[in-house]
Amino acid sequence: MAGVGGGNDFQWCFSQVKGAIDEDVAEADIISTVEFNYSGELLATGDKGGRVVIFQREQESKNRSLSRGEYNVYSTFQSHEPEFDYLKSLEIEEKINKIRWLPQQNAAHFLLSTNDKTIKLWKISERDKRAEGYNLKDEDGRLRDPFRITSLRVPVLMPMDLMVEASPRRIFANAHTYHINSISVNSDYQTYLSADDLRINLWHLEITDRSFNIVDIKPANMEELTEVITAAECHPHQCNVFVYSSSKGTIRLCDMRAAALCDRHSKFFEEPEDPSSRSFFSEIISSISDVKFSHSGRYMMTRDYLSVKVWDLNMENRPVETYQVHEYLRSKLCSLYENDCIFDKFECCWNGSDSAIMTGSYNNFFRMFDRNTRRDITLEASRENSKPRAMLKPRKVCTGGKRKKDEISVDSLDFNKKILHTAWHPKENVIAVAATNNLYIFQDKMN
Amino acid sequence: MEFKVEAHRIMSISLGKIYNSRVQRGGIKLHKNLLVSLVLRSARQVYLSDFYSGACLNAQSEREGKEWDLIDSEREKFPPATEECNQTEETRQNDQPPINETVEKADDEEVKPDAEHCTPTPEEQSQNSSSDLADRVSSESSVPDAIKQNQESPTDSTNATLGESRQPQKTHVCTTRKRGAEESERDDAPQKRTKVNVTSSNASDDEESEEMDTGNVSNLITIFGSSFSGLLSKDGAKPEAEAQDSDSGSGQICCDQMLKNLNPWSTAIVAF
Repeated sequence: MAGVGGGNDFQWCFSQVKGAIDEDVAEADIISTVEFNYSGELLATGDKGGRVVIFQREQESKNRSLSRGEYNVYSTFQSHEPEFDYLKSLEIEEKINKIRWLPQQNAAHFLLSTNDKTIKLWKISERDKRAEGYNLKDEDGRLRDPFRITSLRVPVLMPMDLMVEASPRRIFANAHTYHINSISVNSDYQTYLSADDLRINLWHLEITDRSFNIVDIKPANMEELTEVITAAECHPHQCNVFVYSSSKGTIRLCDMRAAALCDRHSKFFEEPEDPSSRSFFSEIISSISDVKFSHSGRYMMTRDYLSVKVWDLNMENRPVETYQVHEYLRSKLCSLYENDCIFDKFECCWNGSDSAIMTGSYNNFFRMFDRNTRRDITLEASRENSKPRAMLKPRKVCTGGKRKKDEISVDSLDFNKKILHTAWHPKENVIAVAATNNLYIFQDKMN
Repeated sequence: MEFKVEAHRIMSISLGKIYNSRVQRGGIKLHKNLLVSLVLRSARQVYLSDFYSGACLNAQSEREGKEWDLIDSEREKFPPATEECNQTEETRQNDQPPINETVEKADDEEVKPDAEHCTPTPEEQSQNSSSDLADRVSSESSVPDAIKQNQESPTDSTNATLGESRQPQKTHVCTTRKRGAEESERDDAPQKRTKVNVTSSNASDDEESEEMDTGNVSNLITIFGSSFSGLLSKDGAKPEAEAQDSDSGSGQICCDQMLKNLNPWSTAIVAF
């Protein structure tokens, strides 16, 4: 059947699932971020326990040309530990908020990972050789008795089992008073920005003891605070341009050439509110939880609680496309406010060609929208559909009236099963979907 | 009427969230607390507007406590302190309503979870420009009370008995909400309320919270909602600006006083 993501014969299939099957999910195992690297060969996940797990795609075997390589664990390391701010008597969570890869420039891989306060640059390198035959020490490392050494031998590199090492190369700390929500690597590959609730800082990857503050929306009188920064991203090609979204549903595009402090935006994107849909929770659901530039750099996408909007950077007064993710929740906002689900921050992502977008929902559902055909599909990440290469069946939520077979009613949705983090392979139709503590990988089935 | 009940419920829930955010791991989340405060403000506006449309008009419209009285008629319990405080307030500010005590508590409650919004800057309501609370902050620790109150989430919204019992209490002299609440509580019949964990170590506070009712919470919320002058200016309402200007001074004073009364934890938040 026709699917979303490219072509009429497109069909999403289950590929892999990572993570424990236990019903009892440890809080530390909950995945908090997912990110492919630039080539798609590596897939990184961060969790609430401060760990980073990197999966690597195995080389496609020539025999099984129909199925692409699988992702297997490549490296696991503890990126952040819980800390305590003694000055403010506050605990700093070790949860990894974001991971961003750097483009690969040599054999090693680099990524930035951040928790609420500290950003770290990690180097992931392989070691598959080891020097043997030292002159002055034994194989086990003990120094040899100098008087016993009668000849000179030169160490030789011998192959060994592959070892992947992760080491922190830079630690960017003490620059954020508020909770960091975004990091974004600049297209110059030398700088990156980090954003917290009220400020955005620009860093150089080599310099850890200082950063430039480029946006500061903290009012002189905190009582006058009306909005906070919710996400920020660098433009994919123009290294002087970045955007940041706010809790009021607005996006500001800033040009760093204009001034050192980019408090005054160059462009201001806001869609006028529909007065007929006002409720107690209008402000909450208009708060933007994620903003992503398209790969082309021409568009950007924003996610608020109920919808995804695609904006043309050349048009500020309204988005060019709006997709409803789960409009059936609009009548349930009060309950969702009570159980805190209304504060969930869903992310969104583009596919490699910018023809489709994806975002998560509840009940382990995730949604994909094809921008060209305007078709959308709802799929589910569940263990029931976990047979290898099993085709995913589209799901449908019944919004009222008679519930058809295979539909699920709004009241039956499990709001504890939420998909907040998804990632799309930069070049192929392979997606990674984080469902609480499990990572699902789906790919297309070639017809 | 349903709107008012719903608004009230939302206000209670919001306060509960703000309180709980204090003990959450990772520190206070500014974004979430800001959103909760927005909801609180919206609910409060609906709640108060419902009063005025409910035709419970108070003949003493010239009193500063106009809005307060309207709310009172709905409340099961009305802290007599507010009346007294109102009168005291009059000497300080000419156009301040008597919602002093609850303001304190609301402020306390507000300040604790979110120090950025620590001052009870009077919020100008379209219906009542004089409804801004007197920003006198009691030096006594009314904070625990505030916490208690917020923990209460009464589902009942009205009880006429209090309105009547309130009358004789108006003459009570009271400088703190806590004291006033105690006095008023003793006269009230126990109210149905949702069970909430009380974490205060103060036994007397526990007793008080036991007898807390919708009225106090509503008062609290009313005052609480007025603390975000920034949120008001977000509406860009010009008429509000005037009232705000006149109150900003007192709000600042109140804030300063409030800051002195904060416990170290809250002080940390302010520094934050």
